[in-house]
Amino acid sequence: MDAVVFAVLNGVIYGLLLFMVSAGLTLIFGMMGVLNFAHASFYMLGAYFAYALQGLVGFAGAVVLSTLLVGGVGVVVERGFLRRVHRHGHAHELLLTFGLSFIVAELVKLFFGNYPVDYRVPKALDFAAFAVGTQQYPVYRVLMGGIALLMFAAIYLLLTRTRIGIVVRAAIYRPRMVEALGHHVQLVFMGVFGIGAALAGLAGAVAGAFYTTNPNMALEIGVMVFVVVVVGGLGSLAGAMLASLLIGILTSLAVGVDASIADLAALVGAREWAQGIGGLLTLKLSSLAATIPFALMLLVLLLRPSGLMGERT
Amino acid sequence: MTQMTQPILSVQGLRKSFGETEIIRGIDLELAAGERRALIGPNGAGKSTLFHLISGQLAPSAGSIVFDRQRIDGWTPQRINRRGLARSFQITNIFPKLSVFENVRIAAMQRHRVQYTFWRLLERMARVREQAERLLEQVRLQGRAATLAGELSYSEQRSLELAMTLASDPKLVLLDEPMAGMSSEETQYTLQLIREVTVGRALLLVEHDMEVVFSLADRVSVLVYGEVIATGTPEEIRAHQGVREAYLGEEAAA
Amino acid sequence: MRVTTPMALLGVLLLAALPALLPAGLLNAAIQMLIAALFACAYSLLSGRAGMLSFGHAAYFGVGAFATVHAMKAFGGAGLLPTPLLPLVGALAGLGFGIVAGWFATQRSGTTFAMITLAIAELLHAIAPQLKGWFGGESGISTMRMPAWGLSFGSTQQVYYLALAWVLLSLALLYFHAATPMGRLTLALRENSHRLGFLGYDAHGLGVSAFALSAMLSGIAGSLQVVSNEAVNYVVFDAGVSAAVVLNSYIGGVGTFLGPALGAALMTFFSYAVSDATQSWLLYQGVLFVLVMMVLPGGLTGLVSTTARLVGRHGFAAVLPLALLALGAALLLSAGTVFVVEAVQRIFSQDYRSLARMAASLPPITMFAHAWQPAAASTWLVPAALLATGAAFAWSARARLAALTRGTESNALEAAAPAIS
Repeated sequence: MDAVVFAVLNGVIYGLLLFMVSAGLTLIFGMMGVLNFAHASFYMLGAYFAYALQGLVGFAGAVVLSTLLVGGVGVVVERGFLRRVHRHGHAHELLLTFGLSFIVAELVKLFFGNYPVDYRVPKALDFAAFAVGTQQYPVYRVLMGGIALLMFAAIYLLLTRTRIGIVVRAAIYRPRMVEALGHHVQLVFMGVFGIGAALAGLAGAVAGAFYTTNPNMALEIGVMVFVVVVVGGLGSLAGAMLASLLIGILTSLAVGVDASIADLAALVGAREWAQGIGGLLTLKLSSLAATIPFALMLLVLLLRPSGLMGERT
Repeated sequence: MTQMTQPILSVQGLRKSFGETEIIRGIDLELAAGERRALIGPNGAGKSTLFHLISGQLAPSAGSIVFDRQRIDGWTPQRINRRGLARSFQITNIFPKLSVFENVRIAAMQRHRVQYTFWRLLERMARVREQAERLLEQVRLQGRAATLAGELSYSEQRSLELAMTLASDPKLVLLDEPMAGMSSEETQYTLQLIREVTVGRALLLVEHDMEVVFSLADRVSVLVYGEVIATGTPEEIRAHQGVREAYLGEEAAA
Repeated sequence: MRVTTPMALLGVLLLAALPALLPAGLLNAAIQMLIAALFACAYSLLSGRAGMLSFGHAAYFGVGAFATVHAMKAFGGAGLLPTPLLPLVGALAGLGFGIVAGWFATQRSGTTFAMITLAIAELLHAIAPQLKGWFGGESGISTMRMPAWGLSFGSTQQVYYLALAWVLLSLALLYFHAATPMGRLTLALRENSHRLGFLGYDAHGLGVSAFALSAMLSGIAGSLQVVSNEAVNYVVFDAGVSAAVVLNSYIGGVGTFLGPALGAALMTFFSYAVSDATQSWLLYQGVLFVLVMMVLPGGLTGLVSTTARLVGRHGFAAVLPLALLALGAALLLSAGTVFVVEAVQRIFSQDYRSLARMAASLPPITMFAHAWQPAAASTWLVPAALLATGAAFAWSARARLAALTRGTESNALEAAAPAIS
């Protein structure tokens, strides 16, 4: 029972982390219609910047500074690259962001090496928050979850309760109209892109200390984030939250399950038969945990193509 | 005058809502084979939505659409087209980077059921080529056959659009504002063209230009706020009280 | 620029004569170039012709590879599948998996489609190391080429001719496909898939067929690689493999038939040639790709055809100074960039950093057979000068181009964007 609670907690935290990264992505997509392939690269940059700055300004300072830096990078990407190819169409934008993500990964390898770096949770935060049965639950995980929830609340309030929020939401549906009303839509786009990037950077800075920080980070979380966006529904913040939590919890629970289809077959007395076939049937669910999000995505595509809470078709 | 044969198109109790907003609020419409019907009405009345419903782009919320003795509501556009219903689009919907000839050929090819044919060269299929050439002649674009479709003038593109709509030899043609954005010369030209190419076919035409409506249509249906408020010959419609109110406002009509 | 029949024949003859002209080591590279070229052409059938961007094409390459390695072990080069016919297995495996994957993926379009294809490849990449039976676990499966049809297939030469034959066959199939009804409809799919439904076509089915054909040819490419390397493991599903084919195709130019093939051959050749000289080849390739996306949408072949068109319209004399400026700019900018990247790579390498920590001042780095002082301004003046001069050349070239094309074309480089072949 403790193990289940532990797993669910871990899953929720991981899900919240996924949400932090995918929130920015789904907002940017909702606004500009392009799924920025390089979004996960912002996550990676957040981790690496924080790692590099940690020695200079301490952990908290590094996290804050890194977030701002990544936001700046986001603005540069939007202004210097995306805006120039906007007129060539979505496919072009997608390819460009693909290329940018490729370059960022190679640059990271250039400066920091093609192996994980030693970016760790600072000693000050490395203690237990509470106990779940016999296991200690680290306070840093709780911190990560807390930051994610704060962020969700902040975005939600910003979008629904402030003037800027209304402008942003309007710009998602009718950018030309908003422009005609006198709002500087270009600036709004740039701002949203920058904030989306900064959020991903914050997630990276915070998570990179706990999970590993390596040049492959972008790809690993990138694919997950897109699965979240597809499952949750493009452009829906609530959908992204729901999908993130779902994926996080399912994956986390699966990792703890050492049973396979063969074990299931044992219920009907067919264990030997299943084991004889081997292959997929004897694979433990824990080994397959990484593939569950993909299976979920394919399922959603089959049954509910616009995502769990998607509005656009 | 019209014979008592089965109508080619029969719409009954058609409704369509988007969320809470009901755009089409109960339409009954019948079109005889070979009849030319104009659909007029103020902006926002739901004319394009009606077209989307009939052509399969949208599924109705309620009601039925019967085409050629077959219920087609809820069918995909592809299936409806195969049954003999073709539509054109208000915003030109061609293949811009392919040649004019290629555009028409693609439309013409469909009846030969060669969608998955990868073992024959298209050039060698003489019947397809002849059909494409004939279509081009019908809309008088044969001189522009090699031009890229995206480089045609606006009215030439509309003619191409028309040719592609006709390629499947449809029994019912839906034309969505075919004269939109044309000068009066171009309008006259296209009007004549439409008259020629829709001989023997039923035609449902959305138009704002009243001259076109009166010179082309056998009958006119007036759509206001998602309902058909009147159907009749052009003269009948011109004199209809409700129509005048809808267009001109109650004071002016009085 | 049209490739005429005599040119094509000449190309084939040249390729056939290659084993006589190249040493064995380079011949191996040539085989890899052929395989990469086929993979790129297969890829651009889907992304260029059908307009569906796939980021996970390694899946079909890998499926073809694994199917082939199993066939090699099962048939031992004889029976129903002698060695020369092995790529058929790759084709069938690619086709089968392509139909299934394509059925899912083509239900969405644009970016979502791209992500689905990536997810499928990642799924295979994640699951393959776990399945020892099918994929040989982490170490993969190895086998040997067996003699067949009177040939031993032991020499690189014979493998080269086998690969060449299959690549040419596949290219011919692709070329032929463009002229079939299905091929023309695939083009229409890219142009306006929405209208196709209203014209009575099944757009989804068309998408699946294009996907399946592309997967089939990718399977053949994967198959050839296994025949050549005699081994395969799950790394073949890596995102880098999918990324490479994307970069290769667009750098070459997806608007033309042979563009992707040439891009792939060139990039593969470079990665062989410079792999000893630099560790940052992938970075350079990425930069080139982004440059192409920003400035040269038609890729390198697009550049060639634009130049040809400019010469045709304005005459050789008018275009020559422009071409020289542009070439000069490219060389200078590349040199400057390479200098900076190579310097940074050395300075940030682990060895150097340990050295620097121990020494009193920053030790010199060795680059291009010369020692440079990282702290000295003179060191950095070199790339600064190269980049500045290169930028000046580029600016001047751009101005000349604008002057030349004023009134005739809106943007000469953009006009080279994919046209139908």
